[in-house]
Amino acid sequence: MVVLNKQGFKLPRVEKDKFILLLRLGLEYDRAKGTFCVGSYNNIERLTNTIAEILGEDEVAFSQTCIHCGKDFACSECKYAESCATRNLPFHCVCPRCLKSGGKLEDTR
Amino acid sequence: MREDLLWVEKYRPKRIADVIGNEEAKSAFTDWLKNKHRSKKAILLYGPPGVGKTTLVNAAAHEFGFRVIEMNASDARSEKAICKVAGPATAFVALDTFSSESKGNVLFMDEVDGIAGNEDRGGVSTILRLIEESRIPVIMAANDPDIDKLRPLKKVSALVRFHQVRIPLIIAMLQEICQKEHIEAEFEALERIAENSQGDVRSAINDLQSLAEASRKLTLQDTVGLSARNKDVGMDETLGGYFSAKSLLEASMRLSRSSVDYDELLMAIGDNLPLRYRDPAELAEAYDFVSQADVFRGRIGTENWHLLRYFFNSLAMAAAVSPGSYQPFSLISPPIRVITLFWTKGRRTMLNNICGKIGQRCHVSRATAKTDVVPYVKAMLSRRKADEIVSWLELDNEEVEFLGKLNRL
Repeated sequence: MVVLNKQGFKLPRVEKDKFILLLRLGLEYDRAKGTFCVGSYNNIERLTNTIAEILGEDEVAFSQTCIHCGKDFACSECKYAESCATRNLPFHCVCPRCLKSGGKLEDTR
Repeated sequence: MREDLLWVEKYRPKRIADVIGNEEAKSAFTDWLKNKHRSKKAILLYGPPGVGKTTLVNAAAHEFGFRVIEMNASDARSEKAICKVAGPATAFVALDTFSSESKGNVLFMDEVDGIAGNEDRGGVSTILRLIEESRIPVIMAANDPDIDKLRPLKKVSALVRFHQVRIPLIIAMLQEICQKEHIEAEFEALERIAENSQGDVRSAINDLQSLAEASRKLTLQDTVGLSARNKDVGMDETLGGYFSAKSLLEASMRLSRSSVDYDELLMAIGDNLPLRYRDPAELAEAYDFVSQADVFRGRIGTENWHLLRYFFNSLAMAAAVSPGSYQPFSLISPPIRVITLFWTKGRRTMLNNICGKIGQRCHVSRATAKTDVVPYVKAMLSRRKADEIVSWLELDNEEVEFLGKLNRL
């Protein structure tokens, strides 16, 4: 499994049709940096499957951003990952450390 | 006052930042709302219930100074009704738009996937026309965007998907509520509630309130009941718990955990209300809520089950008109209508057979025979000049006797 940084990640060069498909599914391409990032989350499951296919992996995972400390972490660190409907998708969450220390949501606002 | 009793209302976010989860959807929506040159005049927010779609719309409108004109599932959404409410609102720009405080109106149509049936005929095509001609932003929310009738709306709208709220976020929010309500809660108990909610923040808050409000303490042991939700709860147990409920929430919980058929439940509650409320004003108020619930039951039909919470809410309101006045009483169960239908089944079958014979002879439907012919046949039989008509209609003695005794149809 590959863990991608949702702020920007690189993909191997793909055919035109595949590239168009990626953009249609919600990926954005930064021509200057040559990196991709997720712009729309409406087809996120299909998008991650397509990326996995391009990378030749069974599964790809995105890094998660903690809304308390702002640090990135992986879903594999979370004990609720098994029952999470959005596991490995690039969304905000609370990291295990902040959850244990009982950080207040109010502080993040 | 009643709203404050429910924590989901008490802690309903007032600002965009207070809405938990779905950060990406939140920013996509607020970007669309803030943008004066929107590429699409309408936006469709979709996702499972209880993830903050409606809350976000209200919070964002409040924060950006929009006034929300809302049509939700409780309103009829036929062509006529939509034109009446939304037509004038979308055709003109409000004058106060030019003041610094207000940005004008937004039209918000909640539960658009619930537009169905005869009451809402022409609803979707009217919304489409409205979007095309609208001079104000049109916001729609739906749980299931994949149903066929929403396809035309999806084509003309920007789409924003909401996902289930993650368990750690729900736990963090429950911790915050516990702190504000001075509740000592075990972390594992909150964990259990969050996992049980399946990403539905509203149900997680309701569960927390029902388990911890009274004792101000919450242990893992208290949450054992959460997994027993599918246990069969019959009519008597449901009605007993419902009528003796001390709060709106308790009544709502009793209803949602019942396994009784919803139509029978509605009838049984209607039958028992006069025994529950002796004060005519309270009784009238309670019946008003039951009639609202009846409207929702009709709108649910066989497919719009996401509207079930409105049905339960209205019924729960009927039980919470005056919780303090409860006196135990003997419940009427099963419903009077069901009992009546049971007792009159033989009579109805007999009349139906007679109408069938008459209909065949007179070339009319059974219904017409019942209303237009049977009264005359009965009159003929009473004058003892009926041998000819009896043989012509091929009525037997039992049927002739039945018609002779028939008082009303």
